[in-house]
Amino acid sequence: MNGIIEAIKTGVPGVEPVEVSYPEKGYHCALQASPDQLIGVVRFFDERRFYLECLICTDYADYLELVYLFNTHLAPCRAKVAVKIDPRQPTAPSISALYASACWYEREIHEFYGVLFTGHPNMAYLFLHDGIDHYPLRKTRVPVPPEDRARLDSFKPCEAEDTFFINLGPQHPSTHGVLRVVLKMDGEYIEQAEPVLGYLHRMHEKMAENRTYQQFLPNTGRMDYLGAMSFNLGYVLAVERLCSIPVPDRAKFVRIIATELNRICSHLLWLGAYLADLGALTPFLFVFDDREAILDVLEGVAGSRLTYCYFRFGGLYNDVDDAFIAGTRAFVKRMWSRFSLYEKLVTGNVIFLNRTRGIGTITREQARKYGVAGPVLRSAGIACDLRKMEPYSAYNEVDFDIPVGEHGDVLDTYRIRVAEMENSLRIIEQALAKLPGGPFMAEKVPKKLKPPRGDVYQVVETPRGELGIYIVSDESDGPSRMKWRVPSFSNLMIFPELAKGVLLADAVAILGSLDLVIPEIDR
Amino acid sequence: MGERGFHLEKEIVPVKFALVEKVLDLARANSLWPVTFGLACCAIEMMATAMSRFDLDRFGAGVFRASPRQGDLMIVTGTVTKKMAPVLTTLYEQMPSPKWVIAMGNCAISGGPFVFEGQYNLVEGVDLLVPVDVYVPGCPPRPEALLEGFLKLEEKITGSRRFPRVESVW
Repeated sequence: MNGIIEAIKTGVPGVEPVEVSYPEKGYHCALQASPDQLIGVVRFFDERRFYLECLICTDYADYLELVYLFNTHLAPCRAKVAVKIDPRQPTAPSISALYASACWYEREIHEFYGVLFTGHPNMAYLFLHDGIDHYPLRKTRVPVPPEDRARLDSFKPCEAEDTFFINLGPQHPSTHGVLRVVLKMDGEYIEQAEPVLGYLHRMHEKMAENRTYQQFLPNTGRMDYLGAMSFNLGYVLAVERLCSIPVPDRAKFVRIIATELNRICSHLLWLGAYLADLGALTPFLFVFDDREAILDVLEGVAGSRLTYCYFRFGGLYNDVDDAFIAGTRAFVKRMWSRFSLYEKLVTGNVIFLNRTRGIGTITREQARKYGVAGPVLRSAGIACDLRKMEPYSAYNEVDFDIPVGEHGDVLDTYRIRVAEMENSLRIIEQALAKLPGGPFMAEKVPKKLKPPRGDVYQVVETPRGELGIYIVSDESDGPSRMKWRVPSFSNLMIFPELAKGVLLADAVAILGSLDLVIPEIDR
Repeated sequence: MGERGFHLEKEIVPVKFALVEKVLDLARANSLWPVTFGLACCAIEMMATAMSRFDLDRFGAGVFRASPRQGDLMIVTGTVTKKMAPVLTTLYEQMPSPKWVIAMGNCAISGGPFVFEGQYNLVEGVDLLVPVDVYVPGCPPRPEALLEGFLKLEEKITGSRRFPRVESVW
């Protein structure tokens, strides 16, 4: 860690990096840069093979702050670069030429805060509808000026010879929700793919600013309804870090059991839905059978089937009972016997193999530039799993592997997800064996949380990859800013690149392999 | 339709064949073809309803169509945003008559948990866009609740109920 601070000091003259306590803040070092220095700082991180984790804007009333988070895939080394900009004329240099992933983050900030990024190739609106007349996340009402209004209704297809356009979505079975991708076609081949988002923008980040910490808890399950436990866990961990709330050991173990059960559930649904995209309907019926077995177990303790809100600040909503433990054991036993069935049904199927092998190949460099996460990242051969990299809850007390791919193609993401389900079962078995007694909830958690002024960042590994939660507190009982860095958003960014020049049918196979959950992208 | 939403013109049918209509209604009620219209969380519960355990096919309604031109029932499963609203209306208009709408989940009914002062992106209830026949509350509703919604719709179409009504024990 000290190495990076010295390296920044020598590599970028004029900036003053400081070391930060990781357990308190969630990042290792922080530095302040002026807009002129920004490009130099970003180039420094790019040369050292960092990836851009997230780009966040916060409105502090008298100034806007842009936060760039950089991290490496090899060892946890998170650096926060903060840039202050003037709220009356908000402009900043675009870094999309260096990091492809910055492109969409900058567009997002532009439409929610009105920050103009100079040198950005396409500042068109990504999320919002045509009727919007102000910048939603600014603290004071700032009307959208006429030149920005012209950027609404982002993608306008233009006519050219021998090309035509196809709208994939927003209502299409294989986009798994309401994603719209405008495809510029040359015959059966895709020339250009342009995703249009925001058909399910439910204003979670705006809601967070209007609610207390406790009131926001149910929203987490609705953001990613397939990996609700992971999102719930990430949020409570972030608030626990912000307010320094201790968590008893029993709660930590129950948390990872519940999260891993949910992860299997999510991967199973992906498996069924993905194969349905490719034309195989039978596995869909099998996976739902297994999935219902998990839902029964989780429903017994969490009370709901899908949008769980089981974790609380400092522990759990209620303790697990014997029925939960017996049910989990029975499920684990059942699931181990099912893999051979899926192996026979899917993995050996020649049609499946031919449709997935060698398409949508991602290289390591692409994975870094686009900041992709989860099984898609690991398919490129990068063994980066936040459960191992930055262990939270009780993940450092269980033993599991990180499956990685060889080719980076779509078939690898399938193999990784199946292997991850096996590893999740191993984690559950170990956690059940080690499950300690004692209280399930920390003592003396105040009813009204009043965290100190400042910001925290918390990452968790969801079924789709890296989830990051950035909370800014202004000493009130609710967050002043909450930003969700979601894995599906960064995974979708790479799709236009992967879809270039492939057949339409393959594009559907690639899109499905990214395992997108649309409410998570749109937030 | 009451205060919310809009009023439909009363259907004018010059000649009505009473018995034929009744037979047709029976056929329609027992073979509802829903349009695959998954918006958000509720879509997963809709899928669960159609799959192995709950088996919507028992009621002849398991044939989910990917095209609105082949369906006669739209299940609005999830939050309708202002950006999605014109798409939803277009899809509804593309469905052939007679057609029905189930508003599944609190978001489709009223905007649900996402209504707050100063919200800028939500249609607060799908009945502001299209006429709704059955409301299924829940966040998300359980598959059993959606099945009950189907039974209610069948009752609305034919005038009689497939199963005896279950009385609440509370």
